[in-house]
Parts: sequence; C-alpha cells; structure tokens
Amino acid sequence: MKNLLIAFTFLFFIKAEAQVTKVSLQASGLTCSMCSNAINKSLKTLDFVENVKADVSSSTFEIIIKTGTAANFDLLKKKVEDAGFFVAKMVVTLNVNQVEVSNDAHVDIDGKMFHFLNTDKKLINGETSFKILDKGFVSAKEFKKNSKLTTMACYQTGYMGSCCKDKNAKSGTRIYHVTIS
Amino acid sequence: MKKLLLCLFLSLVFINHLSAQELFTYTEPASNMAKGTLGFRVNSTLMKDEVELRNNLHILPEVMLGISKKWMIHLEGFLSDRNNTLIAEGGALYVKYRFFSVDDVHSHFRMASFGRLSFNNSDIHQDAIDLNGHNSGYEFGFVATKLQHKVALSTSLILAHAFDNKNEINYRFPNNNRDAINYTFSIGKLLLPKTYKDYNQTNMNGMVEFLCQTNIKTGQTYVDAAPVLQFIFLSKMRADISYRFPLSNDLYRTASKGFLLRLEYNVFNAL
Repeated sequence: MKNLLIAFTFLFFIKAEAQVTKVSLQASGLTCSMCSNAINKSLKTLDFVENVKADVSSSTFEIIIKTGTAANFDLLKKKVEDAGFFVAKMVVTLNVNQVEVSNDAHVDIDGKMFHFLNTDKKLINGETSFKILDKGFVSAKEFKKNSKLTTMACYQTGYMGSCCKDKNAKSGTRIYHVTIS
Repeated sequence: MKKLLLCLFLSLVFINHLSAQELFTYTEPASNMAKGTLGFRVNSTLMKDEVELRNNLHILPEVMLGISKKWMIHLEGFLSDRNNTLIAEGGALYVKYRFFSVDDVHSHFRMASFGRLSFNNSDIHQDAIDLNGHNSGYEFGFVATKLQHKVALSTSLILAHAFDNKNEINYRFPNNNRDAINYTFSIGKLLLPKTYKDYNQTNMNGMVEFLCQTNIKTGQTYVDAAPVLQFIFLSKMRADISYRFPLSNDLYRTASKGFLLRLEYNVFNAL
C-alpha cells in the first residue's frame, strides 16, 4: 500500500502540468456576432474551460481555465478552426515558480515544453504571460517574420527533434515557441 | 455579355457605398457553418405568376450541417401551391467544400466549390432552370467571398443542367436547352448595431444580390436584383425579407418577381 502511494505520488509529479490560469485568444476571419458566437460556443465545450468572455468587436475571447486542469493550446486552436476561422493571437498566462529562461532555448515548466524566442535571459516568477508564436497561432505573415528568430527546425514543426539540444528532450514532444508578452 | 457587365457594374457601384456581412440570402458565401452546427431554415417565396395571374407560394424547408471546417451539407425540401393546394414537389442535396482561405483579423478571402442535386415532380412551365423548387437536375460552381472589415463581396459562377421532371408523367424540359450558367454578385451593409457589445444585440443587415442566368444554347438571359433586409437575433436566429425583381428578362419565366421570407435557427455544437 505504501509503495502504491509512493508510486502514485511519483506519477502525480511527473504528470503535473504548468497551471495555466487564462488564455487570451484573438480569432481572424470574422466580424459578425453569429460567427463570434460559433467560436464562443465551440470553446465552451472543452472540459478544461471554466468560462469564456467574448469581445465581439475585437474578435477576442478571454478564456478562464479550470483550476487543476491542463489547458491544451492546440485544442483551443482546433476549436476556432472547426468553427471556420483561425487564431490570429494567443497569449497564455501561467503561474510560474522561479524558472530561468533564455533566448532560443527550451524550458520545461512543470511538464510543458516551451522554446523562448526574442527573450532576454532572466528569472521569471509568479503569473506570467507568454505569446505563442507557432504556426497557426499567429498570422502566416508573422510566422514567416519570426522564423528569423531561430534556426531550429522545431519552430517549423512544433515538435522536438534532432535540433533540440536539451539532453532530456524527447523527440516528438510538443513544444510551444513563445515570447514573454 | 452585356448582362454580365451590367451585373459587375452595379456591384461595383454598390460596393462603394455599402459594407456588409456575408450571410447572404439567395446565395451561399464561401464560408461554412461551424463543425457540428445544425441549422434549420424555412424559405417562403410569394411570386407573382404573370401567366396564371395569381401569386405562387413556395415553401422550402432546409436542414444544414457543418460536417468539418471545410465541408457542409444542406438537405432541402420543396413545397408549392402552384396547382392550388400546397404539396411536396421534391427536394435537394447541397454540398459545399471550402478549399481556400486567407484570413486576417476582421478580413478574409475565401473560395469554395459546391454542388446541388435536385429532384422535382412538378410540371415544367418555363425556360429558366431553377434547381431550388422548379427543376430536377444538378449544378456545380465556385464562390469567392471577400470580407474586409465590414465590407463583404461575394460572387459565384455555376453551371446548371436540368433533367426532365418526373411524376406519373414525364415533364420534358423544353427544347433540350438544358444547360445554363448562373452568375451572382452579392453585397450588403451592417446597419445595426453601430458597435458590437454582446451576443444579445439584434443585428440588422442590408444587402443587395444580383442573380443572373444565361441559357448556354439560346443565349437568353435574365438579370435579377434582390434587396434584402436581414435581422439576426441572439446571434443564432435569422429573419430575412426580400423583394426580387428582374432588371432584364429575356429568358422565359412565369413568375419572376415577388417576396421572400427566410427564418433560420442555428444550434451550435448540436453534433
């Protein structure tokens, strides 16, 4: 029983995700309220979404993430695309506990891999917002422009590969390319 | 060709004065419904029959489904009282595939291809091909829609082919002139609200659609205009009111002018 508890605790810590508290998402390709409502309703079907507050005029959605759940940024993007639109901007807010970040380097924050771009070396702590720069999370024009920020191939794929220098890097792990917002 | 240029000219004149949403009435835009969304529509048209000197009521119930971000289908039914009692005359399957999309905040340019397969058992009484309640047949086409902030313009090019309408007797399509090209231009304006605040605001859109058909064999053409006033309630219900009339009419039709009322209700995440 004791061993089981230890194993469970170990599993819990390995699986722990960075607590994302909110996501601000701007969609592209729409102006009308019925289109905006289609996205709003689609986002609300995700089980990690607590609430969505929509600003129809700017096509922006403030998404509150349920405490204790792991937000999946790709699923949020998929919901916008399933509604017939695209993500123009996604800024995610996390509670971070003393993490050192530096430019063009990977950081594992409680089980979620981030690749920081256009970021000075610094220690981040507390509630911090990252803007996701991956393909499909910004406009095609911005994605192309930001490609100059790194030579690593994972920027193009969004998944860790042979380019990733991190010794603990697992090939095929989802990695989000971000900049501190 | 002159009619096509007339359509184009009128569209360009209007686009300078109007800004629009793309939820058009007589034509579908290149955008699709959200995946899993079910839409229910009833189109009612009251067209003045210039031969029988009466008003023909057509009721077209329609169910729409967003299958994926790129595919959607419509199932349509056709009822009419042209022979004095309201009877079911046929139905159609409409499929649309969005194959191109360049989006930016508050703008997009999209293209889609679509097709419709219709069957109808009513008597054939005109040379124009109408797969929305008059003729059996098929059509396929392309639509391109440009949305720029609050300005939208949509245009489509469609090839339509009519079969004979089959009932207990076979109603032959006249003179075997079974093929036509349809071309449309649609524009409009968001009239209210001035500023979006929430989903409960009633939206009012003004639109104008130009609907043209040329019979490929005879070259006979009609050019119709249809101003539309559209209301959107609670960001999920629609009511469109329109009056359609010909600007030019040398393709024989029995009822070319009249009113349309469309009611629509959308259920998001229904599937």
